Amino acid sequence: MRARVWAATAAVCMLAGGAFGKDVEIGAVFPMSGTNAIYGDVFKSGADLAAEHINADHMLKEPLKILYEDSQALPQPAVVAMTKLVEVKQVPYVLSAFTGVSKAISTLAQRSQTVAVNGGGVGPDLAKLGDYFWNVIPLANLEVRAMVPYLAKHGMKKVALVYVDDPLGQSILDELNANLPKVDGKLVAELSVPTSTQNFSGIAAKVRASGADAVYIASYGAQQIQIAKQLRDNGVKAQLASYSGFSTPDALKLPQAEGLLYTTQAVNYKAGDKVTQRFLADYQKAHDGKKPSAYIVNYYNAVLLFGILAQKLEEAGKPITGANLLAERKATKSFDLVGGTVSFQDNGTLLAPIQVNKIVDGAGQPQETVDIN
Amino acid sequence: MLWLQLTLTGLQTGALYALTAVGFSLIFGATRVFHFAHGAAFVLAAYVFYWADTAGLGMIPGIVLAALAAMAFGVAMDRLVYAPIQRHEGSFFTVFVASFGIGIVVENVVGMVFGRSFVTIDSTLSQSRELMEGVYVAPLAWIAIACAAVFFAALQLFLRRTHTGMALRALADSPELIRVFGLDPRRLSSIAFALGSALVVPGAVMTALGSGLNPALGHHVMLISLAATIVGGIGSIGGALVAGFVLGLAENLALIAFPSQWSEAVTFAILFLVIILRPAGLFGRATAH
Repeated sequence: MRARVWAATAAVCMLAGGAFGKDVEIGAVFPMSGTNAIYGDVFKSGADLAAEHINADHMLKEPLKILYEDSQALPQPAVVAMTKLVEVKQVPYVLSAFTGVSKAISTLAQRSQTVAVNGGGVGPDLAKLGDYFWNVIPLANLEVRAMVPYLAKHGMKKVALVYVDDPLGQSILDELNANLPKVDGKLVAELSVPTSTQNFSGIAAKVRASGADAVYIASYGAQQIQIAKQLRDNGVKAQLASYSGFSTPDALKLPQAEGLLYTTQAVNYKAGDKVTQRFLADYQKAHDGKKPSAYIVNYYNAVLLFGILAQKLEEAGKPITGANLLAERKATKSFDLVGGTVSFQDNGTLLAPIQVNKIVDGAGQPQETVDIN
Repeated sequence: MLWLQLTLTGLQTGALYALTAVGFSLIFGATRVFHFAHGAAFVLAAYVFYWADTAGLGMIPGIVLAALAAMAFGVAMDRLVYAPIQRHEGSFFTVFVASFGIGIVVENVVGMVFGRSFVTIDSTLSQSRELMEGVYVAPLAWIAIACAAVFFAALQLFLRRTHTGMALRALADSPELIRVFGLDPRRLSSIAFALGSALVVPGAVMTALGSGLNPALGHHVMLISLAATIVGGIGSIGGALVAGFVLGLAENLALIAFPSQWSEAVTFAILFLVIILRPAGLFGRATAH
């Protein structure tokens, strides 16, 4: 009798173990703690919804599971997290975010032939991180190229830049320097701040003294909101402008951010395709009718992209590895993702039109769509 | 007018630094405990005030609750963390590590309760008005400077004119002598923690109203407090006050001469210079061991 009980227990354990072991696992290196944790929650909601849809549709032979690791939006913890995902969990596909983090993990991705997909970082350098690093988000150079003509068209040619002293901020500085002269504009002040700075009243005084028509804020997380608030509180009346990093719920609802212009990729929610409609309906159902941000779309698309590629590999009888995923992406000309049919450039970055939005009553209102390509 | 604007901004920043640094200096001066969790007391007070505001309790009850929370935290740290370590003759380093750890725990607990994103209280007090052409000052700036003056004066009166205050000053020099006089060093230590922690409240409230909060704020507060305490002279409360203003002014006036990313580095350049040129600090007493 005892032997039978042991045998049954062992069989159940083996079956259960086998079932869990067969999950198709991908990784995600998101900020889950620290001042940028709000982004992690946003990114996760998009990725989880895509996994839910992939599993509901049985796109893959076994359920898809996302293993989340905390990057704190910092390169060093991100490399530790990526090492765990690649070396221990041996995932073929990792979601990444933030420019500094993405650059830090890209070497490991390239070396281990693991696909890393960024849907949140917008530093232009992210287009140059090798075959195994993809971007499902248009990068900041495209965003600046859309914002600068828009500002000039509305008579704002003298621009001050308040930027975080990191690769993202530096790239936006370079883009403004390159693009403002094309519209007879000028960068009248460039004020860099360390990532830890929280007091911007002195910066506001410098901005006012510069006589800028518009102030471009190139930071992220809590800091960018503090900059917007303190600029307004300290008498800066110039138009505020920023990039897609400003499209977080906290930033949008800040009273001092009312009227701020920011760019995002243009997502056509009115596209009649099933993918977009299903995403929109299920997201709004789960979030009290709230409209999803571009980040949520990006990470939904990043996971759905994996589902499409992995499904093709399974159908072809090939293992789901980073190398095979890359080969399959290169072999596929276009993908039906949220917002319509999209294609990748040779450098692994998704092409998408850019939209200039204005914050009105705590929500982004599209003003103009610019096709940069 | 940029220099005048930056001077006024520097005074406002300096007032907040001074109040926080004076609290840390009082605790360190009296007890010799490196209370790294002082920044956590700041975060706790700020978030309690924020909670009271969002709950609609009003500003004054919010300030009272924030003060009670900060003082309770300070006393709890002294009684439940530092006292047991000191009873077992734990080293300075052990106390520091324990304090650092508690700071991290508080940051995470606050993050779990209030969320990790940026929060602020919308108030007209933080909105600047044009004082003269090109010079903007928020009511909060005058309140910050007045608070620094009033709290410092009150603290000096307490330390110089009351028995408990004098005992606190004596505690730093000789806990044994305190016992000889029939006083309880443990009770005095708790008073130092309660008072020192209460001094973070004006800065915490004004930060909630002005620049806004996030749970990781404590590290910056602690760094500035530490720098001001060392620059002012360890154990010198007046020194911490002056150093707080010096650091606040330097951080802002540096914007005239240096690129903006160097303004915070100026604080630590001053710290470095003081350590090299006057190791005892601006108002510290040189000691020989």
